[in-house]
Amino acid sequence: MRRPSLARFQRRLWPALLAALLAAVAFLWATPFLWTLVASFRPEGAGSAGMASLLPDTPQTLENFRNAFESGSFGLYYANTLIVVVGVLAVQCVTVSLAGYAFARLSFPGRDMLFYAFLLQLMLVPPALIVPNLRTVVDLGLYDTLPGVMAPYFASAFGTFLMRQTFLALPRDFEEAAAIDGAPWWAIIWYVLLPMAKPGLVAFAIVSVTAHWNEFLWPLMVINDPAKHTLTIGLAAFTRGAEGGKEWGVLAAGTLLVMAPLAVVFVAFQRRFVDSFVFSGVKG
Amino acid sequence: MSMISRFGIGALALSMAALPLAAAAQTKIEFFFPVPVEGKLAREMTRLVKSYNGSQKDVEVTAVYTGGYDDTKLKAQAAAKAGRPPAVVLMSANFNVDLKLSGDIMSLEPMLRAEETTREAFLADFWPALHANAMVEGELYSVPFHNSTPLLYFNVAHFKEAGLDPTKPPRTWAELADAAKKLTKRDGDKVERYGFIMPAGYDYLGWLMEALTLSNGGRYFNEEYGGEVYYDTATMLGAARFLEDLIFKHKVMAQGVTEAGGVSTAFFAGKASMMLLSTGSLSFIRENMKMPYDVAFVPRNVRNAVPIGGASLVMFNGQSEDSKKAGWKFIKWLSSSETLGGWSRFTGYFAPRKSSYETAAMKEFIAKNPDAKVALDQLPFAKPWFATYQTVAVRKALEDEIQAMMNGKKKADQALRDAQKKADELMRPYVEQTSLKLP
Repeated sequence: MRRPSLARFQRRLWPALLAALLAAVAFLWATPFLWTLVASFRPEGAGSAGMASLLPDTPQTLENFRNAFESGSFGLYYANTLIVVVGVLAVQCVTVSLAGYAFARLSFPGRDMLFYAFLLQLMLVPPALIVPNLRTVVDLGLYDTLPGVMAPYFASAFGTFLMRQTFLALPRDFEEAAAIDGAPWWAIIWYVLLPMAKPGLVAFAIVSVTAHWNEFLWPLMVINDPAKHTLTIGLAAFTRGAEGGKEWGVLAAGTLLVMAPLAVVFVAFQRRFVDSFVFSGVKG
Repeated sequence: MSMISRFGIGALALSMAALPLAAAAQTKIEFFFPVPVEGKLAREMTRLVKSYNGSQKDVEVTAVYTGGYDDTKLKAQAAAKAGRPPAVVLMSANFNVDLKLSGDIMSLEPMLRAEETTREAFLADFWPALHANAMVEGELYSVPFHNSTPLLYFNVAHFKEAGLDPTKPPRTWAELADAAKKLTKRDGDKVERYGFIMPAGYDYLGWLMEALTLSNGGRYFNEEYGGEVYYDTATMLGAARFLEDLIFKHKVMAQGVTEAGGVSTAFFAGKASMMLLSTGSLSFIRENMKMPYDVAFVPRNVRNAVPIGGASLVMFNGQSEDSKKAGWKFIKWLSSSETLGGWSRFTGYFAPRKSSYETAAMKEFIAKNPDAKVALDQLPFAKPWFATYQTVAVRKALEDEIQAMMNGKKKADQALRDAQKKADELMRPYVEQTSLKLP
């Protein structure tokens, strides 16, 4: 009599426990974000005494957002960041798919050696390249311009690697069929391979967009003109305090302003992002 | 190659330009500045530069915000190496030695000579404590812009509550430890309020360790020679042990590393009763502290002494003559008595010029804010800020070890031995080229 009910109870208990555990972990993980959200609406006076509290204060205020907005021309920063991110991605899509194709499908002497040499770039710490890159950018006449910010990223070792793996995972039958029908190499890439490699490209796009959206050091090095600042530099104007205190509310509001577009895009296309990561997994 | 062609073009331009024409043309220069406290300062600096551009026609300055102090150094040096040196940079006052040894910044002596003035005459109006950091190897390399010393901030309400007299803040380490014990509030094993707190993040910790070792009779570094620091010494050991005791023996200071932002926040929230913080934060504390507070000298063990902090204006090598002239003109305006006074009232840093304090605006300000006077009164006890070959790395060698000690992973004596070893290794190349280079 009691056993079946106990078993049923257990069957229900475990999923419930698991859900509770996951919720607890999710809460822990989301705490910084929650705090940012709460702090950004907290009036300035309370901002110092109760700044660590996760509970929203009454009354709420938009003052912090106004202060953050007044700290810089955010509209301009958004536009500049967008130009950099989209510009880099557009060029990268061409370079990484062509390079990935070359490493995956063409055979030429030294191909593998070249590929590994290419991958070695991933091992270099970016700050080590600042001076040489800056010198090149100055010589190209791109110092203090947005193309100067983008230039070093036009080729991407990670993207090339990802696209090579994606192409390798595709069966050759389709290309061979197209080749028999007389399609030239570029038509094969454009009409046959790229549509099938879309998940790989999307996965790469996410990585590239987040990385360049958040990048601080290199834009700081290249850009002098305040009208060409990107979001991260604008934000840094009130986060990098050396000797003073911090206005947590304004800081939180500024952080939200910077991350909002990315967060909105991610929530809107979450399903597709996750799918693309699942599908782009290299077959074992 | 590019250097040669640039010089070639410069010479060509000079020889072709008729002199009256060159004089009429506007010189455009770049001014790099970090934002040491918060965004408000960046806006104020931009406003200052705009008013300068509007006030005259010869020079147009672009104010470039360049991140924190370390970012600014990195950006200015990278730009100079890439052939685009900035004309004027507001640089952490202790980077001069390093920047001079790497050949990045230029001596300002030619500017003084062109104006037929002397270094002594130029520096006469600046507080004597600032002279050492303005010079490298006996020549003027920078002009002080805003300066600070550490200061003891304390919560007056907490003092009264703990039975301490807020008009007699601790003057010695013994009194400090005693007050901290009385101010610390415990609930069983849990500490609800700490008696003492200080920032221990990079940059700040090194500066405060200098304050403590100076107050203990020590020196931190060799003011005359860029290849020597005094980490493994009795005076530094006393300073480190004092901190270690406050944390682990008296338990009046939290274990671990708190950044400056967290320190002022704890002070505002009443979670800490006394803190060691820069005078540069005075305005910020004044605006945000809701409870009554006051400030006092940094307590001493052997003598009263504090290090200078802050930033000064430097000029980079590799500029054209026109750009140099324009940069110097701008520096003279930025470091004029009035500009410095206004900036000091806005930020809380003290003005490096004595004459700034003789203006009516400043007298009125100090009468209204007596805490600004304490910072000034401490000045006669100020010593130069440590500046060595590879300043940042040598400083971090100490900071890493002290942080390990504050986390309870190392004892003070071991930490200092390791810090000394690391610092010596870092300065080795310079030492080999100088004091160990024998005939």
